Amino acid sequence: MILAMANIQDTFDPKPRKFIVWLFVVSSTIMFGGFTSYYLVFAASKGKGHGLVLPDAFIYSSLVIIASSITLMLASRALRKLNFSLQRRMLWITVVLAISFGFMQFNAWGSMVKTGATLVGNNAAISFIYIVSGMHLLHIIAGVALIISTLVGSYKNIPLVKSQFRMEIASIFWHFIDILWIYLYVFLLLNR
Amino acid sequence: MQSERIMSTIALHDEHNHDHADHGHHKETLISKYIFSMDHKMIAKQFLITGIIMAVIAMGLSILFRIQLAWPDKNFPFLETFLGKWAEGGRIKSDFYLALVTIHGTIMVFFVLTAGLSGTFSNLLIPLQIGARDMASPFLNMLSYWFFFMACVVMMSSFFIQTGPASGGWTVYPPLSALPTAIPGSGLGMTLWLVSMVLFVASSLMGGINYVSTILNMRTKGMDLWKMPLTIWAFFLTAILGILSFPVLVAGVVLLVFDRSFGTSFYLSDIVMGTTILPNEGGSPILWQHLFWFLGHPEVYIVIMPALGISSEVISVNSRKPIFGYHAMVYSLIGITVLSFIVWGHHMFVTGMNPLLGGVFMITTLIIAVPSAVKTFNYLATLWRGNIRFTPAMLFAIGLVSFFISGGLTGIFLGNASLDINLHDTYFVVAHFHLVMGSAAIFGMLAGVYHWFPKMFGKMMNAKLGYLHFWLTFIAAYLVFFPLHFLGLDGVPRRYYAFTEFEFMKKWLTVNVFVTWAAILAALAQVAFLFNFFYSIFKGKVAPQNPWESNTLEWTAPVEHLHGNWPGEIPTVYRWPYDYSKPGHDADFIPQTVPFSQTMSSNLPHDFEGNAEAEKIQQDWEIANPVVENKG
Repeated sequence: MILAMANIQDTFDPKPRKFIVWLFVVSSTIMFGGFTSYYLVFAASKGKGHGLVLPDAFIYSSLVIIASSITLMLASRALRKLNFSLQRRMLWITVVLAISFGFMQFNAWGSMVKTGATLVGNNAAISFIYIVSGMHLLHIIAGVALIISTLVGSYKNIPLVKSQFRMEIASIFWHFIDILWIYLYVFLLLNR
Repeated sequence: MQSERIMSTIALHDEHNHDHADHGHHKETLISKYIFSMDHKMIAKQFLITGIIMAVIAMGLSILFRIQLAWPDKNFPFLETFLGKWAEGGRIKSDFYLALVTIHGTIMVFFVLTAGLSGTFSNLLIPLQIGARDMASPFLNMLSYWFFFMACVVMMSSFFIQTGPASGGWTVYPPLSALPTAIPGSGLGMTLWLVSMVLFVASSLMGGINYVSTILNMRTKGMDLWKMPLTIWAFFLTAILGILSFPVLVAGVVLLVFDRSFGTSFYLSDIVMGTTILPNEGGSPILWQHLFWFLGHPEVYIVIMPALGISSEVISVNSRKPIFGYHAMVYSLIGITVLSFIVWGHHMFVTGMNPLLGGVFMITTLIIAVPSAVKTFNYLATLWRGNIRFTPAMLFAIGLVSFFISGGLTGIFLGNASLDINLHDTYFVVAHFHLVMGSAAIFGMLAGVYHWFPKMFGKMMNAKLGYLHFWLTFIAAYLVFFPLHFLGLDGVPRRYYAFTEFEFMKKWLTVNVFVTWAAILAALAQVAFLFNFFYSIFKGKVAPQNPWESNTLEWTAPVEHLHGNWPGEIPTVYRWPYDYSKPGHDADFIPQTVPFSQTMSSNLPHDFEGNAEAEKIQQDWEIANPVVENKG
């Protein structure tokens, strides 16, 4: 029987694992759906939102994260054309953009604090801005980890199927958190 | 026979399932086999045994608070020996009483009936019944168990801290849960509860995501969705429910954590503690209830649906009849899944909800009775004139149907917004959900344990002890929960510490004594199960290949477990799983792996799903082989 097991071909099928990432995207979407519906019900019942002019840093961070999605797309395309050095370069740029996104978020929080809109206060809608952008930032950390694992794979010369798989997972997740941030930002702009 | 067929195909290249990159060539050590196992069968056993241990603990807690309810004025010195300051003078303290009901509920709902049930049977049966080597991600599956284990440890650790476990009820409504100084249980115990739940949700999500991905991507050749056993349909839809509802609880918990630890006011407003006015303003505790019940209501279906799936399978196998209304069973599960997301408001009828909105939630709630009734009638129709084999598993499955009916009926009362004004938060609610999701789900789980024990451990459980276990538990469960309806109708609120404190509740003390004795009987009955379970693992009779003469795929896998489930090629599936007592066939079951070409005498026109060529072959064969009478 053990012999029989050894006979079974070991090939790598990324499909079910990729599906897992999609399902994670779904459940994460639901979580942010939960947050934003809290906000909607809160705002409707209290008749007020956060009432702030959102800091400019959020505009810049939105632009940066869109740029990072584009560079990641270029990295995928480079891998498809088997241009590994371009792929690595693009991945590095994405990582840098991602980290600067994080800095800008901190910056935005800083300027909110300066105007007196702090996390702890009597308007839960303002606290809410910190919570959702913070939870989103946690996703960014996970996304950066995925991009770095793609990079590591690229340097270690793992089999092409596997490195394509890592690239795809990183892309699915990164584009998701990009869109997620845009959604959150627009949501906060529209529901003042 | 079966294993011969499989062995002969060993040399064949396995084309269908190549998603087990890490099978076959890895060395098994004690740690990788029993502890950090990535084999779904071992993980299933880990979930089951952890679940059983948690169930025993939670049952013990319930006996403790039942003692308090029955004899509020008596001293039990042994309680002080065990519980120390929480039972000073042999009497359970009121704070600890609240902790007992809270942790009993939390453990039973989440750790036993969610993780213990789904974790065990989804893990065991999904790969085995759909014909896969393992889960989509065995690693994630392992993590899922260990997160669950850590959640259990953290939850239990709250019994060993100064202020005791969380005690605001299993729904942890703020402000009790949001203000660490509100009651002793709101302190560190509540923090541990939240940490434990975050670990638990992570575990649940990893599990659920894995189950869905496995079912959608890794079915063996021929196993289309409509050939899946109802167990798989139930686990599939349960996992979807979990994926769509647990994240909302996370959102709610994150906000609660910030209220507790950082001073935000998401759920808090206008609170005076003692003589100090708290600074929190503007929040609303009702919002927690919305977020909690958006998970909480689907959660009760997460609890009951796997049990329903298991009993569909067990009832069909042991009635020796195809399940009545297979498609209707699937559609009713889908109906329950969809409806469960739009009924959460029925937990909140008395929160000052707009009556119009209450009416909407009432209607959606009552509509759930339709798919539930479809399922019930289908169980009964499957049993009707069946060639019933009363195995212990079968008895427990029938027990589930009984509890599902008697507990479901009271759901129609409670779903009614106007009746709920009277019944809300009374013992009527306690009686309702202990029958319909407590007893029914635990009976489904036990049916599953008795039925698939041979698959899990390769041994048989003792049937006589199983019968003893069933009858004692079945009778005791009704004796415990049925009288509670009447307390509820009289307006006795749940979670009250001592009935002696209220004039109108005093008359129910005698009933409480009766219920407590029945609960003790039910607890003792579980000893029969526990002994049977653990004894049979080591000393049970060795299980045959297919002990219940069942059609599903798991019984074609060798009794002795191996990583990858089947030696050589994974069997192909040709037919649905419910060909029992098919007219014209010599045996009363036809496994899914038997092609129609081998059962010419029993094929029916609709078996071929409109395949004209196959129908033609069948017609030619029937002309060539006219039916011989006395075939039996």
